[in-house]
Amino acid sequence: MCSIAAPEVFGSDELGHATVLIDGDIPANVQAKVRRAQANCPEDAIIIEE
Amino acid sequence: MTTVEENSGPVTDPTSDYNIFDQEFVRDPYPTMSEIRESKCPIAHTDRWGGSWLPTRYEDVVAIAQEHEIFTSRSITVTASPLAQTEGPYSGVAAPPITSDPPDHHWHRRLILPVFAPQSVAKYEQGTRDLCNRLIDGFINKGEADAGTDYAQQIPVRVISAMLGVRDDMADEFVSWVRGVLEVGLTDPVVRLENRRKILSFFRRELEDRKKNPRQDDLITDLLNSGDKYPVTDQYVLGVCNLMLVAGIDTTWSAIGSSLWHFAQHPEHRKQLRDHPDLWPTAVEELLRAYSPVTMARIVDRDIEFQGCPMKAGDRILMAFPAANRDPRQFENPDEVVLDRQHNRHVAFGSGIHRCAGSNLARLELRVALQVWLERIPEFSLVDPANVTWAGGQVHGPRVCRVRF
Repeated sequence: MCSIAAPEVFGSDELGHATVLIDGDIPANVQAKVRRAQANCPEDAIIIEE
Repeated sequence: MTTVEENSGPVTDPTSDYNIFDQEFVRDPYPTMSEIRESKCPIAHTDRWGGSWLPTRYEDVVAIAQEHEIFTSRSITVTASPLAQTEGPYSGVAAPPITSDPPDHHWHRRLILPVFAPQSVAKYEQGTRDLCNRLIDGFINKGEADAGTDYAQQIPVRVISAMLGVRDDMADEFVSWVRGVLEVGLTDPVVRLENRRKILSFFRRELEDRKKNPRQDDLITDLLNSGDKYPVTDQYVLGVCNLMLVAGIDTTWSAIGSSLWHFAQHPEHRKQLRDHPDLWPTAVEELLRAYSPVTMARIVDRDIEFQGCPMKAGDRILMAFPAANRDPRQFENPDEVVLDRQHNRHVAFGSGIHRCAGSNLARLELRVALQVWLERIPEFSLVDPANVTWAGGQVHGPRVCRVRF
């Protein structure tokens, strides 16, 4: 789900498990997408550090 | 307590006597689910169909899904299979990993995950699109079609056939076998067993063929050759094939069918997607939430009190994902379809270690099937809302759904 909502930030490994593609701060232009990924993660697995 | 005669009869109080095969519940389960959810007894119980519990609140369904050691997957069907012991050579064939518990669950799942990763299923997009277009070519000039049998039903079976590397001229047989197991078979153990045998003997022959003639880039061949990493047996591979067919066809077909049934009655939603194609990702999730097709089951491992309910070892729990997904505690205006819904942690694919392994494929099929339909047939409506027929129990969705355009 997250890789559909915010492909700039989330990818998936060979098993289809989500991975984070970036390191450090989330670029301003994709912050809204990342928040949507967080709000829709079915496993509640995304934490955004402010 | 397994025949239709023994288990039908009017329901007076759904919290203590629900009947998932009641005609009204099969057609439209949401009012009853809501009645149970908002009652003093949000985890209902029934003695019908061998007895089961029915949690209807999001929080309870997710909690049960997460506690996989107490709530096991020894049996996942919504009714018991009383003939399971009489199956002879196939009696031990399950549907891994959905029927597996830890520790085997880990490798049972790990082996199949790579074929369902987003980057792996992407290669089926163009083929699915072409298939959808071919299906529509077949009826677009008639001005009327059955969105269920002429379209939704035809799509997942062919995508799964391609993944399994089997002939797609078997599509009608596959559909009939899967319905025999998942629809009629749930209330008729003889039909269930007969169709299960057809599925397993078909794949038994496919396994023997792959052993003699291994193929490149072939799921069955690859699974058979994974013995160096995990203790793979023929029974496991046969079980995976069984799962892919049984779990991959009725489910996605129902989601496509329900979504088309919805669009047929909501021109404003068709227009919204036409004007804002960027809404497709959230729209697909919203349709999955509002029309979640699947209810799975769990078996209680040991006597336990859960939310005040005295559950006994061996009790069956129906994981009412469709009810959880319409819980107002979790979703604002849950009975409304909001295509741009921003907070949507739905559990249409379950939750925890048994979360659907094929979700990326299902999403792709659902999105492509709906996009192609709306591109080719932007305006359409139900011929007669009263004549739409529904399947229910394990998988909820329309079967005959005639539309005019």
